[in-house]
Amino acid sequence: MTHSTEPWRLFICRACGLIYDEAEGDPDSGLAPGTRFEDIPVDWECPLCGVTKTDFEPFERPQISAAPQTVAFSKKPGIVVIGAGLAGWSVIEALRKDDADIPITLLSACKGDRYHKPELSVAMSRGVSAEQLVRESAEDAGRRLRVKLITNAFAVGLNTARHELRTTRGTIEYTHLVLAQGSKPYLPKQLAADTCWHVNHLKSWGGLEKTLRAGPQRVAIIGAGMIGCELAEDLNKAGHHVSLINRDAHPLLALLPPLAASCLVDSMVQQGIEHHANAHIAGLEKAASGESYIVLEDGSKLAYDQLIAATGLQTDNRLAKQAGLAFDNGIAVNARSLQTSEKNIYALGDCISIDGVACRFIEPIAHQARSIASSILCGDQQSYEHVDPVIRLKTRAMPIVLRGIPKPVGIWKTVTQNQQQLVMEQYVEGEKMAVLTMGLSSGSEAA
Amino acid sequence: MNNTALSNEDESFWDDDARILCDVERVASVRLSAVANSIDQDGYYPADIMGELGQAGAFLPHLKAYGERFDAAINNMSAISRHCGSTGFITWCQDVCGLYMELSGNPALVNRMTDHATGITFGGTALSNPMKAFTNIEAMALKASKVEGGYVVSGTLPWVSHIADGQCCGAIAAIDNTDGSRSHEVMFMLDINEEVKLTKCPEFSGMEGTSTWALNLNEYFVSDAQIIADPARPFIKKIRGAFILLQTGWAMGVTQASIDACREVEVSLGHVNQFLHNRPDELEAELKDLHARIMQLAKNPYDTSKEHMLDVLDTRAQCSELSLKASQSALLHQGARGYLMKSKPQRLIREAHFVGIVTPAIKHLRWEMAKLMSEG
Repeated sequence: MTHSTEPWRLFICRACGLIYDEAEGDPDSGLAPGTRFEDIPVDWECPLCGVTKTDFEPFERPQISAAPQTVAFSKKPGIVVIGAGLAGWSVIEALRKDDADIPITLLSACKGDRYHKPELSVAMSRGVSAEQLVRESAEDAGRRLRVKLITNAFAVGLNTARHELRTTRGTIEYTHLVLAQGSKPYLPKQLAADTCWHVNHLKSWGGLEKTLRAGPQRVAIIGAGMIGCELAEDLNKAGHHVSLINRDAHPLLALLPPLAASCLVDSMVQQGIEHHANAHIAGLEKAASGESYIVLEDGSKLAYDQLIAATGLQTDNRLAKQAGLAFDNGIAVNARSLQTSEKNIYALGDCISIDGVACRFIEPIAHQARSIASSILCGDQQSYEHVDPVIRLKTRAMPIVLRGIPKPVGIWKTVTQNQQQLVMEQYVEGEKMAVLTMGLSSGSEAA
Repeated sequence: MNNTALSNEDESFWDDDARILCDVERVASVRLSAVANSIDQDGYYPADIMGELGQAGAFLPHLKAYGERFDAAINNMSAISRHCGSTGFITWCQDVCGLYMELSGNPALVNRMTDHATGITFGGTALSNPMKAFTNIEAMALKASKVEGGYVVSGTLPWVSHIADGQCCGAIAAIDNTDGSRSHEVMFMLDINEEVKLTKCPEFSGMEGTSTWALNLNEYFVSDAQIIADPARPFIKKIRGAFILLQTGWAMGVTQASIDACREVEVSLGHVNQFLHNRPDELEAELKDLHARIMQLAKNPYDTSKEHMLDVLDTRAQCSELSLKASQSALLHQGARGYLMKSKPQRLIREAHFVGIVTPAIKHLRWEMAKLMSEG
């Protein structure tokens, strides 16, 4: 044994957790610093609990996931923001702009790094990694905006009467609470969470990106909504063979009239994407060869290497339920103040619902953030005005811009249809509800 | 109370929660209060009083055979802990050991349950290490190998409570494949006999009368009659929530005792104590909320859903935080008299510290909640 050249090792007592460090030895029991574990006599006893050497095992220092301190420690309760996505950081920016001193704490389930989430459905073909998508680390943003960070931590309990938020890193008091916790993927029962990827946050996207980096693969995307369609084009462009599994007859069924949807399908098929319409998943199957299959209800099978769920989002209701906050398809907020059913608790972004309707778009978030800041700091509780956002589908071959939200009962009329562009309008009882523009010429607008 | 209880053949005898609680409260207030300090500091193991509590029905309501009333079991434990946290803790040990016997479905163990449930026999639980091992906090301490008619088990556990010669405890050992990989784990009732080496633990700061020992097994034979679950994991998954939830009774009792200690000096010190924070009314309001939440969870003790587990873990964590806060407040309320070595607040603080560090400790609970939450 070349004892002297190997690094010092650590051994842990399985019984009591005491760590024997070869570098330090155990001088009290006569083991000089530098005594290798092998050289410890068999009758040596753990100095803490008295077990023998055989109850020790090699030990490696575990990683600690807590965020470094970004602000001086303060016990003073302040504003607590839950969620370090676009919504959470936007509120913090808005608060800091108007008040340099108010204490702010950010609680995040992930590392809390700042990135632009809409990029996740179009970034694979650009060949970037998750690290490259980070625009500012949580630590840098925390220092710049003087925010106390509690990261890799979860809110598990909320007591509104005592203004206490119970988290997996301790209980914190708040003066105002801002819920910006986002939403989580909704998975149909045929898809277990560990069988498929999703791109709802950077960490999961990063895992997919790393896996796909190995080379062209067969990727099945379940769900042909906005994310499914954007991702299909992006992954196809990145060199993968993409199958889009659509339970409906057309992609974006709720938004697009059949004419526009078939233009979109044509564009996808031209690029080499397989669109499986009316395809209902019965389950997943793994053959003895290791090959994975989607089994459809009609009995057909589709082999894949990677499976991605783009089957929609839902808001976790745990915290709201526990605290007795009104919840209706999302955390119910007042449309003008963004207050929840509790006066000093606000919510914004993907987790909210206004009149029972969730609104999972980026555009309103900045307005919502400014309104909440002005409500908390200035008491102005009427400053938010909700307007339907302009919906932009980032399918580069066939960009789509939709102004207004189409109604199921509406009648679509074609305004322009030529090689370059399709413009349609939807009317309900003579009133224009939505305008749809798709095609190459609107590319600059939809970028 | 007690002898009639034992001889009573009427199956409905144990149905009256209020009477049981009243009897338990009486034993606790008369018998335990007098010796609580001696239990905490001098290591007096209150086996005699545990026997009386058992005969009053303290250890049985949560068992299926007695109606599976976890709320009543928790309230009994709380009433005991209000007078002595150490006895409250070994009540929890006794309660979960009874669960192991009953839920094992092993006739040899089920037959032992009635004596255990009524405090004629005693037993604890050596699951601190495996509970932590199953959530990747530490490695398994006991190893088992299959032999004819059972297993042989070796290894050391540093501190196991409520055990003594002739008593027993639920334990789990890992079985490894020849290539060193883990095959599975087996859970068994470890009967403490001459084959088991019990070593005195170093002196603790309190809770000395819990009969806590380091336990060493060297090729200890486990017969089929001792098997609780093989493999152990599905069993643990089933009882984990109930195991943790039961502890809340103990923590609430320590908290209530601290509130009592604040109030005891209200007449003489209220005029200055009014300037303190964490006043008894405030602590009591939080305890009341917490108790209501626990009673709700106690209705479905074997719910293994993620939602339920999170609630159980969070409630247990809040129990620890509240008992620490309340015991600290008890000392501040009592002032100099609370600083006397043998004062009640000193003991309560030691008990609350134990509530906060025993498995699952606050940090383990949070670790596990974070793990559950990040699983999607």
